[in-house]
Amino acid sequence: MRKALVATITAALLALGVSAQTGEVLIKNATILTASRGTIENSDILIRDGKIARIASNISAGSGARVIDATGKFVTPGIIDAHSHTMMNAVNEGSLSVTSMTRIRDVLNPRDVAIYRGLAGGVTAALLLHGSANAIGGQSSTVKFKYGRDMEDFLVEGAPEGIKFAMGENPKRSSQTFTGGQTPRYPRTRMGVLETMRDAFVRARDYKQSLDDFRAKKTRVPPRRDMELEPLVEILEGRRLVHAHGYRSDEQLNLLRLAEEFGFRVGTLQHGLEAYKFAPEIAKHGAGVSIFIDSWSYKLEAYDSIPYNAFILWKNGVNVSINSDSNERMRRLNLDAAKVMKYGGVPEQDALQMITLNPAKQLGIDRRTGSVDVNKDADLVIWSEHPFSPYAHVEKTIVEGEIFFDRAEDIARRSQLEAERKQLEALDINKAPGTGGTQPRIPQERIRGDLDDADRDGGHR
Amino acid sequence: MKFKLGLLAALAAGMFGVTGAHAQSYAISNARIITVSGAAIDRGTVVIRDGLIEAVGANITPPADAKVFDAGGATVYPGFFDAGTNLGIQAPQRPAPGPGGQAGQAGQAAQSTPSISNYPEGLRPEDVIALELSATESQFESARNAGFTTALTTGRTGIFNGQSAVINLAGDSVGAMIVKSPAALHISFATISGRYPGSLLGMMSATRQLFYDARRHQELQRMYEADPRGLRRPAADLSLEALIPALDRRMPVVFHANREMEIVRALELAKEFNLRTIILGGQESGKVIDRLKAANASVIFSMNLPKRTTAASPDADPEPLETLRFRAEAPKTAGLLRSADIPFAFHSGGLTNMADFFTNAGIVVQGGLSRDALIRGLTLGAAEIFGIADRTGSIDAGKIANLAVVRGDLFDRTRTVTHVFVDGKLFEPKVPATPAAGTPGTTPAAIGGRYTITVDVPGQPMPGTLVLTPQPGNVLTGSLETALGPATARDGKVTGNNFEFTTTVILEGQEMVIFVRGSVTGNTVSGTVESPQGTVPFSGTKIP
Repeated sequence: MRKALVATITAALLALGVSAQTGEVLIKNATILTASRGTIENSDILIRDGKIARIASNISAGSGARVIDATGKFVTPGIIDAHSHTMMNAVNEGSLSVTSMTRIRDVLNPRDVAIYRGLAGGVTAALLLHGSANAIGGQSSTVKFKYGRDMEDFLVEGAPEGIKFAMGENPKRSSQTFTGGQTPRYPRTRMGVLETMRDAFVRARDYKQSLDDFRAKKTRVPPRRDMELEPLVEILEGRRLVHAHGYRSDEQLNLLRLAEEFGFRVGTLQHGLEAYKFAPEIAKHGAGVSIFIDSWSYKLEAYDSIPYNAFILWKNGVNVSINSDSNERMRRLNLDAAKVMKYGGVPEQDALQMITLNPAKQLGIDRRTGSVDVNKDADLVIWSEHPFSPYAHVEKTIVEGEIFFDRAEDIARRSQLEAERKQLEALDINKAPGTGGTQPRIPQERIRGDLDDADRDGGHR
Repeated sequence: MKFKLGLLAALAAGMFGVTGAHAQSYAISNARIITVSGAAIDRGTVVIRDGLIEAVGANITPPADAKVFDAGGATVYPGFFDAGTNLGIQAPQRPAPGPGGQAGQAGQAAQSTPSISNYPEGLRPEDVIALELSATESQFESARNAGFTTALTTGRTGIFNGQSAVINLAGDSVGAMIVKSPAALHISFATISGRYPGSLLGMMSATRQLFYDARRHQELQRMYEADPRGLRRPAADLSLEALIPALDRRMPVVFHANREMEIVRALELAKEFNLRTIILGGQESGKVIDRLKAANASVIFSMNLPKRTTAASPDADPEPLETLRFRAEAPKTAGLLRSADIPFAFHSGGLTNMADFFTNAGIVVQGGLSRDALIRGLTLGAAEIFGIADRTGSIDAGKIANLAVVRGDLFDRTRTVTHVFVDGKLFEPKVPATPAAGTPGTTPAAIGGRYTITVDVPGQPMPGTLVLTPQPGNVLTGSLETALGPATARDGKVTGNNFEFTTTVILEGQEMVIFVRGSVTGNTVSGTVESPQGTVPFSGTKIP
């Protein structure tokens, strides 16, 4: 009985992609692309309690350590995707232009298989953002991909709070059509989007004043706790990062000016396809930019996008990251980073930083992840080849010292899953009704109205 | 003279709403009695008088005035309690959409029930379901015929589905039916079409804000009551005031949550506001046993077990392993709840055929729940969850005479429910009568035909085909075919150009009852589809 139970638990853990390991892990003889201190050849990495404990050659493993031979393999920091809608059961609360009261944390789905696929592409962390339907969207969540664990385990402790803003075609709903009797939502223009933001900050300032007055006992009645304005007050107080979706340089520059008017710094300009046009201004403001590496001219406001965007921003000292905004593209961000070497000749380490250390800085978690350095979280990827090679695949993805994706184990598990499927399909409850049953349902292509910039058939929307 | 007095008494009883049937005393003898509160009695008698159980035991002599039934060894159970239904609720009396039905949201808003609430329909916790009930006994026939005497009933739509009522499934007036009202506050992970909150994100935030506002409202009211001078009086707010009993833990909150993450979200909200939590649905509660235990929550498990209902299309992908696992694991859930000592009950969860309830109960027993525990969940367990175990849920002297007499094995298809007592009133289930044929001679309404329609599901308009076939006598048959598969109309009615029907669709492997109403103007049709997910408009045109 006990044996059977152990076997069940082991099988369950395997099914979840979690190795039942504790204690030390030793990666032997790897080529390490540190993302902070260049490349280290033939080196070992010792992982203890989820942290990188030592990086040196010929480390000897303690007893009970799991040893991974990485001869001929490459190790990089885990990839961080600074714009993702993975593991979310809802993306947009599109009913209002200001939905700062909404929280991505409320809609997390830790069972989303896209997480596992992301791990298979070397992604270990992501910034999960509200969609771009509103001038001010919802509160973001910063997660690590601990697939198989509970929702709470995904949230990165101590990560700064964030919020989604959006400008341009999406929040002004340029493609929306209205039937008779429907009222278009304000704003309908780019200037209206900016006004919506300014209005929200003015309201937030008043709200903050009312809270301060009450605390100073100037008023008797406690102000209403306003879940919409609370996060905006946090922005004004520098306690919440703004991640602002936008394409055009004019409106993104306007946002930086608005932020300066209200005395805060924008965290990241998301997408920023025209960011190269005002790179010095971005550098001066201190915002990061998180971009698509290609996807040029895929919609009207993306017409001025160019391949050299990342290069020009990098040259101007702007912190650039490359994001996916897509469950599918998330799995090959390594190749997106390789492209910045081609377009402009960004050096290898700087290119790698654009999917590791730079997004870590943008998310405010660079003290614990983003590079292969001692005392950082052991968020590591073991690649079969140089990660910028199109032939490279991920062999193992490690999050805080635990292996959450193991290609060899995955392959071994497939026959097991196939057997489980056969067994389940044989159950009455899973059998299709025979004659007289409901007619077969022909699947239809369903357009996901709730996703904004996610791809449909490979292209960004 | 004596006879006359008796007649007078009967008349008086009638005047006070107590029918002769209630006053009648019955005895069921020679029965196996499952008391639930105590040991089963292998051969005994239950005496019923004036709506209550007068006596129960092995050596009871039926009173002289009792009508005695020899059960012939059949089993007497406490009447079954379906702890999550929409029984007795009348379709809302909104005007049917006219030609302007296509106007969409604006049209919808204009048809809202009048209210002084600051919140849109669907976000009004003050709605009391008892006000929407009707006391027509025939509407409960199918539930009663399956041995159900009691139900928790609540609204179908909205985020707040109304404050539910526990009702007995018989009675001459709504007041007489009610066992407890309000029983609980209900919250669904639904949205409000065309306005905030229009997504799960907004649903969570809007609910949270309402609870915070209610807490503050209570605080302001207290301040004002303590000393009104120098304070502006807090504006009356029925919606917020309706949440205060839940915040004070005087009223439990039922979250309609079937899947794992819905349950997790419900428990998160419950934790934030320290709510007394009941999970309704709960088919994946086996995955979150620890959380349920920590939250001290109860579960009302849906007997609408997931099953595969459609054959695969030749070019379809195989079903996801998750779906296959869900169907295999769901029947084991109640057993897991029992092992973890989490209070549980059962509900029909939209099952359209109540006979399936006990067939599925048999599957749940196979899944690892003992028969006794299942029957307890179906009776006393449910009564305990709603705080009425002192008056119903078991066969004890003094309790409400809610009883079901079953011949044969309860979990076998061959079972027969021979007698059902609701508040002491006897019902003898018959084979359901065939639907009344229409009055001959009336002309079928001119709305018949096939229509191409679009159901305006927010974010993903759903095309479909609506077939309306009016029959004589204002009866409507027909079907609705959408991406959710074909669905045959039931209980269809036609009044002039207006029509309505109920049907069942399959969403994520589960049956979901929807209510369709609309009207036809020339070649166009418009109306609404009401479902547990919310109400959405549809419109379309006739196929020539």
